Amino acid sequence: MKQEYNFSRRFFLKTSSALGALAFIPKGVKAFYEEVKNFIVPAKEQIPLKVSINKKSYAIKADTRTTLLDLLREDLNLTGAKKGCDHGQCGACTVHVDGQRVLSCLTLAATLPGKEVTTIEGLANGDQLHPMQEAFIACDGFQCGYCTPGQIMSAVACVKEGHTKSIAEIKEFMSGNLCRCGAYNGIVESIQKVAAQ
Amino acid sequence: MRPFLFSKSSAANQALAKKNHSTQFIAGGTNLVDLMKKHIANPESLVDISSALPNKVENTTKGISIGAMMRNSATANDAIILAKFPLVAKAILAGASPQIRNMASAAGNLLQRTRCPYFYDVTTPCNKRQPGSGCSAINGENRMSAVAGYSEQCVAVHPSDLCVALAALDASVVVNDKDGKTQTIAFQDFHRLPGNTPQKDNNLPANALIRAIEIAANPFAKNNAYVKLRDRDSYAFALVSVAAALHLNGDKIVEARLASGGVAHKPWRWLAAEKYLKGKTANIANFEAAANIAIKDLKPLSHNGFKIPMLKGAIETALKQCLDL
Amino acid sequence: MGFFDETFDLMAPNDRRVEGVAKVTGAGKYAAEYKVDGLCHAVLVGSTIAAGTIKNINVDNAKQVSGILDIVTHLNKPLVPGLADEAKIKEARLGLAIFHTDKIFFKGQPIAMVIAETLEDATYAASLITAEYEKTDAHVDFDAALKKVPLTPAGKERGNIETLNKATQTVEAEYNIKAEVHNPMEMHATIAEWKADDKLKLFDKNQGVNSVQRTFAKLFNIPTDNIEVISEFVGGGFGSGLRVWPHALACIMAAKQVKRPVKLMLTRPQMFYSVGYRPAAWQKIKLGANSDGKFVGIHHQAKNGTSVYENFNEGITRVTRLIYHFDNLKTEAATVPLNLSTPTWMRGPGDCTGDFAIESAIDELSYKLNMDPVALRMKNLALDKHPDNGMPWSTNYINECIEKGAQMIGWKDRKPAHSQTIDGDWSIGYGMAVGAWNAGRGNASAGIQMQKDGAIIVQTAMTDIGTGTGVSMQNIAHEQTGISKSKINIELGNSNLPPAPSQGGSNGLSSIGGAVVAAVSALKLKLAGYAAGQNEAYQNAAPADILLSDSGISLKTPNEQFISYAALWEKNNLDVLEVEASSGPGAERQKYAFCSSAAHFCKLRVNRKTGKVKLERMVTVADGGKIISEKAAANQMSGAAVGGIGMALMEEQQTDERLGTLVGNDFAGYHFPVNSDAPIIEVAFVNKPDPNINPQGSKGLGEVGIIGTAAAIANAIYNATGKRLRDLPITPDKVLLG
Repeated sequence: MKQEYNFSRRFFLKTSSALGALAFIPKGVKAFYEEVKNFIVPAKEQIPLKVSINKKSYAIKADTRTTLLDLLREDLNLTGAKKGCDHGQCGACTVHVDGQRVLSCLTLAATLPGKEVTTIEGLANGDQLHPMQEAFIACDGFQCGYCTPGQIMSAVACVKEGHTKSIAEIKEFMSGNLCRCGAYNGIVESIQKVAAQ
Repeated sequence: MRPFLFSKSSAANQALAKKNHSTQFIAGGTNLVDLMKKHIANPESLVDISSALPNKVENTTKGISIGAMMRNSATANDAIILAKFPLVAKAILAGASPQIRNMASAAGNLLQRTRCPYFYDVTTPCNKRQPGSGCSAINGENRMSAVAGYSEQCVAVHPSDLCVALAALDASVVVNDKDGKTQTIAFQDFHRLPGNTPQKDNNLPANALIRAIEIAANPFAKNNAYVKLRDRDSYAFALVSVAAALHLNGDKIVEARLASGGVAHKPWRWLAAEKYLKGKTANIANFEAAANIAIKDLKPLSHNGFKIPMLKGAIETALKQCLDL
Repeated sequence: MGFFDETFDLMAPNDRRVEGVAKVTGAGKYAAEYKVDGLCHAVLVGSTIAAGTIKNINVDNAKQVSGILDIVTHLNKPLVPGLADEAKIKEARLGLAIFHTDKIFFKGQPIAMVIAETLEDATYAASLITAEYEKTDAHVDFDAALKKVPLTPAGKERGNIETLNKATQTVEAEYNIKAEVHNPMEMHATIAEWKADDKLKLFDKNQGVNSVQRTFAKLFNIPTDNIEVISEFVGGGFGSGLRVWPHALACIMAAKQVKRPVKLMLTRPQMFYSVGYRPAAWQKIKLGANSDGKFVGIHHQAKNGTSVYENFNEGITRVTRLIYHFDNLKTEAATVPLNLSTPTWMRGPGDCTGDFAIESAIDELSYKLNMDPVALRMKNLALDKHPDNGMPWSTNYINECIEKGAQMIGWKDRKPAHSQTIDGDWSIGYGMAVGAWNAGRGNASAGIQMQKDGAIIVQTAMTDIGTGTGVSMQNIAHEQTGISKSKINIELGNSNLPPAPSQGGSNGLSSIGGAVVAAVSALKLKLAGYAAGQNEAYQNAAPADILLSDSGISLKTPNEQFISYAALWEKNNLDVLEVEASSGPGAERQKYAFCSSAAHFCKLRVNRKTGKVKLERMVTVADGGKIISEKAAANQMSGAAVGGIGMALMEEQQTDERLGTLVGNDFAGYHFPVNSDAPIIEVAFVNKPDPNINPQGSKGLGEVGIIGTAAAIANAIYNATGKRLRDLPITPDKVLLG
């Protein structure tokens, strides 16, 4: 099969652009293209990127497919952001981009230039823990600790956003961070504690 | 993910020039990246349009315009939205999580794809994912599936909350096509029913992009509600949801709007119920009657018969919440 | 000082977990997070059918992907000696002989593994692999299949079950519970590195490093000591890490194949069929009582799902023989083979399932008898002895749990009849249930290393999956030595450390606590031995007479005979002082029965229009013996209650019989509670030591926190609405249609 369709990827990218440029694509051509495409194994695309993470600048060459989460965990050894689902369904990978809490598993690294990323590793000031980190220890806001960096990044944002007026509000605005250990008591308490400071 | 080329455009026309059928735009990425990881979307190139489109809510002569790149949380916090169309904010806050709302764009929300579990499982047949392969849900686990407007081909529902509010408020979608032409599509005409082409979610022209969402001024800012029922309290897709809005004159209903998610392939308007409520007194008896009208002709599948009483309850609840009852 | 002294303040508000800073800063390394030179990535490819035989695997397209190192299938795998033939496969008891068979038993079963330079390459290549199969019939629908399997006796019949027919009131009903999946937040992962042909290093997610070590030593026929297993941080387990699963073996095979260290992390969808789950269950209960509420007897029948390649019996009726006196009792069980992966123990295994049915039936009976469900339970508790083996309890304070819980929730405000408290569209109700668990203890070892400055490191191979083992060991070491907590470090989760059992079944602290006490005794004796060289008063001193402090050793005598560590170290030219000791259960197990228990109470509201259930309050009171670390213990209990909310209201692994598949196997399809599903859980402890179970008097808590929670919620829904819902999870649709 692969011999039969041994076209270059570039050929197809060019061809497809050309096809797309036509106002009218003959159905047969398009169908042929779609069929052939299934047998093409494109090479990976790597692009140079400048990203700023925890106020440190990195000049890297990244696969266009690389997510911020995998960039952090696999390439930069910043393993604080956790992979709990890889599909935006758990919140364990929560980091801040330009000060907003976002999911790093659904953020392509290629979209980062010009933005500032903050991960759990960038939250403390040297040895001085962030008040939210202190609160999580004091209130025992975790058990296994795997969702904790995401919870803390989310909690810091939750306080900043002002969603701390009641237990119910904290709970709602922390519901994007799953904790299978069920350490929700301590998470809520930690946020109340920091919000009151 | 399949390898792809990546580029960024800072202007809409620049982005449109790069668009063809194997190129996809990426804005928030909350749905597209997920679909690419699952090998459901396999674009050959991505164009980042997050800097190419308006990201403000602006007053217009007719009402407001929500920029395509408005992030969902920004829209929900926007002063104009909160003052004039709070139903939009309520619907947004009922969906996804704070993190996803910080990422997801207004236009992307309209274009998100169904959450039918079979659509997401590439090892199972799905006409929406692979036309002609069959619908696994119609005789399978269809608890979350449609109760109206479906076809033999597809019983998926549209997952958005925002769109339910936009449908209720008769919004419209401003679209730019490749030739630089702008057209406006009424919200009710934007999303499609599955029919024989379930692979098509909406009527966005090929290689066009959404520039803005417009909502005309309306008298629904005071009495409105969004009710969403799901399998857990938060961060779950709707079993059913209801956007309700009333324009009252004293206790008389001048006009009512009712729309639902979790019902069909597109946000579903309950026009007959709205018509019934027009001119009636805003009271529980009339709300119940309206809810009964709404659910009259629904056709549940093997596992989602519960949606009928749930919709009835949700419509009544939403209407009551419009009055703070 | 001693555990039973009142002065020992274990409830110290500044009780901080020993690993707290590592967890809140992201510095703690979980299995997949270690930096290993030359590391590459493996991704598993699953079968797309549920039963049959692999005819052909097409890897040609995948091989064209850049960065591919190799693709392993059953045709080219590196042979694992322990799986070399059918007999060895059986003996290995691994369950699925991954890549050593062409047979398919369930959909998703790994048929190939891509090894590549990057995760992106490996994942993409995996998507290009296709296979042809010879399909055979597959069944994944438990409800349909269970009718074909007959029941057999589970344990000895007590009295005569026919007596039930003479009871004044009886309840007879069936209960169904859907399969639940552990889904710890960390997906199971392994990094495998062959240091030599017969030397293996693993960073692995599991609940017991020694068990991993033994399993792979046997499979590869190499000495146990040649395998190093590191599991210092474990992102939750709930039972999923108690077995050694095939994917970990796959990772080791990959490392062998490409002669490089390999990382393999399961995807979330793979987590649903790779590391066990709580099987679906059917139960039937017939329960009867006399008019005074005394139970006449119980007939409990249960079936649970299992795989077609292994038999897993949940032990659902075990709890039927634990909590109450039933003069007449009959228990029967069966397992139902399905084309799904093998289930395993999940938090409160068996008992959690069985207890839901029993506690629901008792609640139902209480309404028939017109009796308060608390009073009905109190009347029938087996407080004097284990109702099945007749041994006296060492301690059993389940009655105190009930009393305290009833008081905390304000049980007196509950209306005896259902549907009495209405607030608009909402109906409000109260419910309660109890749970118990046979409290165990295993053999465990701990080591202590002491420095000249008096700082100690307490070590064990046991993992801490989040229960607070570390902080509890620190508390015990502090209490036993008198050395400040700031000078006590804890090292866990490494097979090079003193061996310990897996952390599971509520046995962790019960087992390791004794080992720490024993190690402290050994340390005291060793120090006293050196001290005796300087002061003969130390000769023959017993551990109980020896006191340690931050700075030195002394004796429990008026003249303390203090000698500083510095002096001992200098005099004896010491570097690091090391001791190791073991401890385990003994003769007390022949004299007493042991149990942990809990009572769960809740107040909730049910929306009659929409079926929504909202928990307003949840109270859980446990008898876990002496509480060693109050915060961690309370966290365990409240977390288990959250798990119970999931079991009661939302957790369900759906299947599709036609396609032989799981449906919605991700976090969008499988719901467990988010923060807003749970109220602030109110936790209390009886906190009375069990003097016989272990030196510290603590009984495990991990299981009892969830056993009974679901029934308390279902019972409250009945109290609120009059709807008796016997099938879990009670999703809004069931409330509406019930």
